[in-house]
Amino acid sequence: MAVPAGREVRVHPAVELRHVTKWFGKVQAVRGVTLQIEGNEFFSLLGPSGCGKTTILRMVGGFERPTEGEVFLQGHRVNDIPPYRRDTNLIFQHLALFPHLDVFDNIAFGLRMRRLDRETIRQKVSRALELVDLAGLDSRRIHQLSGGQRQRVAIARALVNEPAVLLLDEPLGSLDLRLRMQMQIELKEIQHRVGTTFIYVTHDQAEALTMSDRIAVMRDGQVEQVGTGRDVYERPRTRFVATFLGDSNLFEGRITAMDGDRVQVQTADLTVVAPAQPGVAPGATVSLCVRPERMRALHAVGAAAGAEQYENTSAVRVCNVTFKGSVIEYRLATASGHPLMMQAHSDGSPIFSQDEALTVGWRKDDCVVLMG
Amino acid sequence: MIVETPHAAHAVRSHEPWRSRAVVVGLVGPAVVYILALLAPALAILLVNSVYHFTGTAVQPILTFEAYHRFFADPYYGNVITQEIRLAVVTTALCVVIGYPTAYAIAKIRRPVWVITAYILIFSPLLTSTIVRAYGWVIILARRGLVNWLLAQLHVTTGPVLLVYNITGVTIALVHVLLPFTVFPILSVLLRLDPALREAAADLGANRLQAFLRVTWPLSFPGLYAAAQLTFVLAMNAYVTPQLLGGGRVQVLPLLIYQNISDLNWPLAAVEAIALIALVWGIILSSNLLFRRSIAIAEGRSG
Repeated sequence: MAVPAGREVRVHPAVELRHVTKWFGKVQAVRGVTLQIEGNEFFSLLGPSGCGKTTILRMVGGFERPTEGEVFLQGHRVNDIPPYRRDTNLIFQHLALFPHLDVFDNIAFGLRMRRLDRETIRQKVSRALELVDLAGLDSRRIHQLSGGQRQRVAIARALVNEPAVLLLDEPLGSLDLRLRMQMQIELKEIQHRVGTTFIYVTHDQAEALTMSDRIAVMRDGQVEQVGTGRDVYERPRTRFVATFLGDSNLFEGRITAMDGDRVQVQTADLTVVAPAQPGVAPGATVSLCVRPERMRALHAVGAAAGAEQYENTSAVRVCNVTFKGSVIEYRLATASGHPLMMQAHSDGSPIFSQDEALTVGWRKDDCVVLMG
Repeated sequence: MIVETPHAAHAVRSHEPWRSRAVVVGLVGPAVVYILALLAPALAILLVNSVYHFTGTAVQPILTFEAYHRFFADPYYGNVITQEIRLAVVTTALCVVIGYPTAYAIAKIRRPVWVITAYILIFSPLLTSTIVRAYGWVIILARRGLVNWLLAQLHVTTGPVLLVYNITGVTIALVHVLLPFTVFPILSVLLRLDPALREAAADLGANRLQAFLRVTWPLSFPGLYAAAQLTFVLAMNAYVTPQLLGGGRVQVLPLLIYQNISDLNWPLAAVEAIALIALVWGIILSSNLLFRRSIAIAEGRSG
């Protein structure tokens, strides 16, 4: 059916990158990245330092120009638009609050640039201060604030402008762990309340998992995988993603048999049953990933119970036990010495001790076949 | 909500335990002792001499205020002081007007080679003796000097312009001598500014000019102010440049002091020296009061 001209409703992604590449001299920081970030999304760019995540953020903010490719904000190409004419705001890694201005003037900075009248500015600033729980601190100077308070001033200073996209460059990096976790929850809540698209750069996988609707895992200037936190954690596509997000038991082997929804993988000393996957045929060499918390201790050798429901089992020896409070981490070794990790809940059941022999098991569906 | 205490680092800095205060005293001590040990006796000698009697050929240790009387009664000295302040103010203003953009440009240079080149260019005047430089300027600015020759060649002027042995020549040369002292404090403040602050301003909608006026300028003001003070003090105390480029037609207190000492009129020289010290201190302190607020704000302290 023909849509009348001009009445076509097309929802553009809040941010779109098409084949974006960035060179700094002879260093290629970003290599052909294509991404679509939807409105109201909390999107994280996750990766080790030097993977190009901050460069992408700075290209969206207008502080760097892509060498190749295009950046779109709400459907408009913005490659040549300077930061001060973009509907984005950036929270800098070290916040970059203005030391010569008080809290009010810091937050009002963007509004004054837009030449809003005094009364509007006053109202918007005080609403922003309430949003970040800093009401009453208007006339404080930046050096009189705690780390967490500064963080909030930076958030308020950006959000008061009601940007279409808020960019955050590891802003929680300098906070201690407790405050950091508190701010993670708060940021997520603020994002929920204001309904702005957040693009969050971090190298901390736990942080990305806590806050994000979707995560792009980056490596060497490229995006390895994009998906929800659960996707990338439970279904990593590559070895890099599997090891960068959380701990993994990795097995390498050859597919020896295929039967409907399952394949059999022969590793150095184990035969592992894993789910079949399109494009994987007998004879192919593959990597498998099993999360430590999916490993179960079936029994100490001698007893035998409940082993039937696990397609995969292995006799192991306990090399190392770490009690971490809510969880217990075991480093194990198979008969041939292949290291395994297992994580168990501290649920009151007996804790295995070093050098103890036991059998661990994991289901077919706990295995993820990795592509690269 | 967790209640947070004010920033810990700041709290530590303002309530240092006595031990680190002792360290500070230990580090500053030698310089302070050295300065005081030399300055205090010198000042004492000045004060004593200023109240002695001068016979016309010799100093007699008789208590009298005649040197003060002469200094304050004779309008000549008032004229000298006015001229000197005007010279120092104009020199300082020119140094700041030339020096701030220079420092700003140097602070923006990325290539190390060009940074070093710029430093050498700016600081090269300090590598030559003031006297050599002064004579250099005499040659350049003289009636038949380089500048007048150029002006004549370009038919800008018909006759020679008087650029030397007057206040113009002294000002031109003083600006040259003092420019490094203006550029350096401004440059060091500009280099310490976090570039992210300018980016933050741009991010919040400020174009280059607005970012400069609202962020870079107020934050670099303390450096500019320190530079201006230093330049002013040095200009007030300049001796060689007014001597050689003024050709006797530009009188400033340091020249008078030297002349009076040569004439053995120590009491008058002492009064002139005291007047110069009082003048410089008075101007510096009153300007500090005037700019106290903007300095404090720029340095992130409460205004």
